[in-house]
Amino acid sequence: MALTSRAVLVALAGLVPVALLPAPLTVGVWALVVVALCAVDVALAASPRELAVARRLPTSVRLSGTADAELTLRNTGRRTARVLVRDAWPPSTLPGGDAPTGARTPRHRVDVPPGERRRVTTTLVPTRRGDAVAGRVTVRTSGPLGVAGRQVSLDVPGRLRVLPEFASRRHLPSRLARLRELDGRAAVQVRGAGTEFDSLREYVDGDDVRSIDWRATARRREVVVRTWRPERDRHVLLVLDTSRTSAARVLDGTRLEASVEAALLLGVLAAHAGDRVELLAYDRRVRARAVDTHSSRVLPALADALATVQPALVETDWPGLVAQVRARLSRRALVVLLTSLDPAAVEQGLLDVVGGLTRRHQVVLASVADPELEELRTARRTIDQVFDAAAAERTSLERAAVAVRLRQRGVEVVEATPDDLAPRLADTYLALKAAGRL
Amino acid sequence: MTAPAWAPAGEVVGDGTTGRSRAARRWRGARPWLVVLALVVAGALALVLPAPPTSNAPGSPDNPGPAGSRAVAQVLQRQGVTVESVTTASAAVAAATGDSTVVVVGDALLGTDQLDALVALDDDLVLVDAGWALSTLDPGISASSSAGAARSRAAECADPDALAAGTVVAGGGYRDDTGRAVVCFPAADGSGAYLTFEQDGRRVAALSDIRLLSNDRVDEEGNAALVLRVLGRHDHLVWYVPSLNDVGPVTQDTGTPALTDLVPWVGPVTWWLVLVLLVTMVWRARRLGPVVAEPLPVVVRSAEATRGRGRLYRRVRAHGHAAAALRAGTAARVAHRLGLPRSADAAAVVDAVARATGRPARDIETLVYGPPPTDDAGLLRLADDLHHLESEVHRP
Repeated sequence: MALTSRAVLVALAGLVPVALLPAPLTVGVWALVVVALCAVDVALAASPRELAVARRLPTSVRLSGTADAELTLRNTGRRTARVLVRDAWPPSTLPGGDAPTGARTPRHRVDVPPGERRRVTTTLVPTRRGDAVAGRVTVRTSGPLGVAGRQVSLDVPGRLRVLPEFASRRHLPSRLARLRELDGRAAVQVRGAGTEFDSLREYVDGDDVRSIDWRATARRREVVVRTWRPERDRHVLLVLDTSRTSAARVLDGTRLEASVEAALLLGVLAAHAGDRVELLAYDRRVRARAVDTHSSRVLPALADALATVQPALVETDWPGLVAQVRARLSRRALVVLLTSLDPAAVEQGLLDVVGGLTRRHQVVLASVADPELEELRTARRTIDQVFDAAAAERTSLERAAVAVRLRQRGVEVVEATPDDLAPRLADTYLALKAAGRL
Repeated sequence: MTAPAWAPAGEVVGDGTTGRSRAARRWRGARPWLVVLALVVAGALALVLPAPPTSNAPGSPDNPGPAGSRAVAQVLQRQGVTVESVTTASAAVAAATGDSTVVVVGDALLGTDQLDALVALDDDLVLVDAGWALSTLDPGISASSSAGAARSRAAECADPDALAAGTVVAGGGYRDDTGRAVVCFPAADGSGAYLTFEQDGRRVAALSDIRLLSNDRVDEEGNAALVLRVLGRHDHLVWYVPSLNDVGPVTQDTGTPALTDLVPWVGPVTWWLVLVLLVTMVWRARRLGPVVAEPLPVVVRSAEATRGRGRLYRRVRAHGHAAAALRAGTAARVAHRLGLPRSADAAAVVDAVARATGRPARDIETLVYGPPPTDDAGLLRLADDLHHLESEVHRP
């Protein structure tokens, strides 16, 4: 049973008779009137258990996109149901920004005649990555007077997967263009151990004379140059560290968010370049993986795997991670570690085991730098700020020292602010590819 | 009901409960609370119902103990006297009809205000064990200090009540120096256990000993006869035992009607508003479905660790550590800017910086590798100087 605001108005209206005939009897009689009205209304309300509720939902939506969650109500009873429906969703999926959750909760008022169907649509604007699991659907039918009604909460299962935003998508066209420039380039400086012979073509002004293929020139009676293309079919393994260091907040999002963006851009770029992309999210155990994906399906597969990855408040098990990587890779590959250049964490974990990776693979470590550190370092007006600046300076030096030690072990280190990390990592990949170091 | 013609997959009808199962579940859920409620109600009834007014005060008509006076009060009631027990002067004034007896038992807790209020009444006064009150009423009367312990005394006066009693067992006594009052039951020093006089058209009587009317002594000799005759002169008896909560000025019944008398609908309307509040509570209490829970994300900023380290430096005034960090940072950046290798030593850095800025090598060395500052001012100055040096080097 549930009352409406109208029941309160009816009760308030009782003030008039009570004031005109001030006696305990008036109070009692009017109280009985209110109770009787509510009881009659509840008895005449359609049963909410006679409504058949079905849900229709897109399987996934990109972060910052909108999704329409539809509910279809079918009245199997014999009375017209005046229904107030609430389709409950987690607060982070509700539209309305910073308003209190109660105010943002979508409610729908709809009349369903007997035997007919009505559809209500709740627009969701997810602000957080991951699986949004629908709460219960609450149906409240009210009686003809509208003072009281009946209510039931139904378990109508629904799950909406919120995929990463992939805001670094905007960097993709320029990187793809650079990738095409690598293709078919005749200049000999791109030639290296990792490039392979592509084709022969006519010499044009500007080509390096060293790339002229003399034997072919002799056969064809025109000057012919050899062209090269970057190696294809290499292996790229993206490793996301989802341990406690990935939970720290840098600017608006966690470190992990920036890592996810970088992984998506690099994955799509590598897939376009003809490489095989694999993904592994790991802290003390495997949190997500995407294996052996092909060019056309790589983005959906990566996004789906990354959608539910969340930071875990545990320390990374680096030896375990290295064992995972080794088990997955049979030949030389590019291993991209998306982690944090946290001096303590790196010195006690990664440094000891990274040698096992660099011996066989090209390792790139991508870390999110904190712009706030730079602000702390440069603000030096008061004595408090100077102490903070000294601390920031010390942190930067330690990070730089760790980066140096990693580079000495053959690791390529990329450190950039959250917005810059994805393009910087893509550039590093292109540079490695151009140099044939994959 | 016929089967629905169209039933898409995943359609949910009802929550699998029936009216009977819901009622059973509610009954099971409510049972412990109903038990608690019943216990509370039973306890409240047990506290409220068998509560005949009793008192521990000596001389109180509600006190059944040896020092109490319930026996006297009950005998008076049986004889048709209405006994009204009060513990405040305000209540005594309100209870007095103008044609009643007001008995005051003990004056230890009586204030001047209370006594004045009693004196202002027209009713007959009986003062028991109240020497101070009596002498305030009539300065010629005083309590005897040498009357001694309780002992049997004869009336020895013309008062009909005293004569009817014959002898009483009492201690203490009052002495009258003016000769206006009738003094009865004198002790050896001439002070009487009972005296009476007329004042402002009413009769004032005084009993020196509270034991005259106590439950355990009232049956001795003529005590009962004296007390019952003195207290039973009128049909209405106001029995006033001053108490500790009898403080503040005595409020007279001014005759101002209460608010409910003036505006008759205030009471019912208040009750009705309480009912409206109840309805509102029921309306708001039923929410539209349960709350959906969601784990909250971490909100610790990455720079918190660095700020914490800064605060540590500050707390221990680690000027040397802070200066070393600032200098090392500057040296590393300047060396990088000037293209020095990472392995370059201090002398090479100083040399390169001196050449780049045109400043004496000794200044640069003192600035970057000199002794650490020891106070806030020194550290601030050092930070400022390092900043200047860096901007000079970075200037193209």
